[in-house]
Amino acid sequence: MKEIMMELSDKDLIERCLAGNADCFRHLVLRYERPLFAYLMRRLKDTQLATDAAQESLIRAYLGLSNLQKPEAFHSWLIGIGARVALEFYRAHKRQLGISGEIEDISDEKAQKFEEYQLDEMIAELPEKQRQMILLRYYESYSCLQIAEALNVPVGTVTKTISRAYDALRQKLQTEGFVFPEAQS
Amino acid sequence: MNCNECKDNLVAHLEGALDKATALSCQNHIESCKECSETLRKYKSLQGELGKLGPITADVSLVDSVMNRIKYLEFQKEAREPERSTFMSKLLKWRWSMGLGAFAGILGLILLVILPGANTMVAAEETFVRATKAVGQLAGINIKGRLRTTAGDNFSAISLENDFVDIELWKEFSPTLRWKVEKPGRVAAMNGSSTILFIRPDFAYKLDRPTHSAFDTQWLHQIADVAESLNDELRAIKKHGWKSSVSKDNAGHSIVTVEARSGYSSDDYLKNTFFCTANTRREYIFDDKTGLLVSAKIYLADGEQPELLFELTQISYNPKFASDTFEIELPADVSWRRDDVVLPDNSKYEALTAEQAARAFFDACAKEDWDEVSKFTTVTASLKTYLAGIEVISTGEHFESAISLISGAQFVPYEIKLKSGDVKKHNLALKRHPETRRWFVDGGI
Repeated sequence: MKEIMMELSDKDLIERCLAGNADCFRHLVLRYERPLFAYLMRRLKDTQLATDAAQESLIRAYLGLSNLQKPEAFHSWLIGIGARVALEFYRAHKRQLGISGEIEDISDEKAQKFEEYQLDEMIAELPEKQRQMILLRYYESYSCLQIAEALNVPVGTVTKTISRAYDALRQKLQTEGFVFPEAQS
Repeated sequence: MNCNECKDNLVAHLEGALDKATALSCQNHIESCKECSETLRKYKSLQGELGKLGPITADVSLVDSVMNRIKYLEFQKEAREPERSTFMSKLLKWRWSMGLGAFAGILGLILLVILPGANTMVAAEETFVRATKAVGQLAGINIKGRLRTTAGDNFSAISLENDFVDIELWKEFSPTLRWKVEKPGRVAAMNGSSTILFIRPDFAYKLDRPTHSAFDTQWLHQIADVAESLNDELRAIKKHGWKSSVSKDNAGHSIVTVEARSGYSSDDYLKNTFFCTANTRREYIFDDKTGLLVSAKIYLADGEQPELLFELTQISYNPKFASDTFEIELPADVSWRRDDVVLPDNSKYEALTAEQAARAFFDACAKEDWDEVSKFTTVTASLKTYLAGIEVISTGEHFESAISLISGAQFVPYEIKLKSGDVKKHNLALKRHPETRRWFVDGGI
């Protein structure tokens, strides 16, 4: 389990970066490298390509921080950058291989059917507290107790916040036509 | 337990975070309530989807690579964009069009308003501003110094294992920007229209355009361009929080000391091998009477005792330049670097990995197949003499430095036996040319 700084919000960190403290970006990378990588992995389906695309996206995010209108929406903005980088990398990779079918076709527009990467996009759009807990629970594999300790809140707050996040995600998924399979219990 | 209470507890129930009694009560409700049971099913299903996220990302760690690249970009920006002005640099530019009294007044105000309490910064800034005013509008500069480096190596390369070699820069700011930097093994010059690097005795590389600096001479240009360089230092001190101090010696000098950090990790292959990858202490020495910069010293400051790397020994403001100062006389048999040529069988070379390219390069040297060697480097007479008939003992797996993220350079360890019988163990630096995509030897021979 890696150390992720919880004291400062995305907005705080971004303000510090913009004030000239580039090192604060480290904490944003720590917070979002996994969700970003998972998203790119699902779009590009190649570990090396997804790693390169994740690095490139983070660098572009850093260079474009001053253009970010709503610092609290950093995650969703980063995923948007990731989507553009994925498309560029995918096209370059396809050109390099000189083939059309080696990796699954990806496009800018939302696909007709539900794609797994859309789940990453939906998570990125959650309100900050819900998103923070979902990220820790599922990308960083924290238990609810560990989340409670890290954020210094009661476990009940964690489970209730996650419950609200589930409801929000369920609603979004249903709108996108996702069918909930029978869960393995 | 009713539906609302149950719903509040569903996640805790799934996570096993409820006490026994509440868990039992929750379970009883779920079994008797269709709606809560359906919500539970959907939560579980969602958990299943979300649970796939962790394993995908288990090995991801981009922090160091991303932060190294950002630090490098920041340094590049500092070095390359002197025009990206701070208020102070703008003021330094405006000073020519305003009365000295007004300038001094505004400056005093800045020092009071922007930097309250930062006494060292104020003192450094005052000394720098005074020096900038003292040099007036420079038409040209000539600086001489000595640097601990290999005579023929990169202009920015530093090595404490070597003795000092002389290094000199001539720079004309107006009417035409022209410059030349020379040390015993290499010389680079920009004559107003093109920029040439000549590595003695027989290698040359030409850029068909004028440049402000090139071939890793930036650090020396920075010292020469006194006003901008001092302003850059101030910006870096503020931005990176580098330590700085001002002291006086008995000979009527003010000394501004800046502790510059490279941001390279201590295990990076290139750490402390170039100015931009080294932690250095920079001392700027100013004459108190004239306010002029009279000397500068750069130390490697990564251990307990700083070691002198560079010393500026002579500085001439607005010197007279000879008509051929910015030209290089090249020998007739010079070989020009041509890594930009697309070969008929280019794809074969594009497909190689760095390891394969290094191996192919050394194998071709062993066979003295110079045509093949030329696919990887510029073949000069001196290269032939050095590498003809080598025995390749081993080549290894490539590794990278923080610089690789910017330049794409990869380093392949090798061990070869030269014809003289000497064994050389080193790392070959290879870069892909951006257009031809072929690997080209970039150093380490």
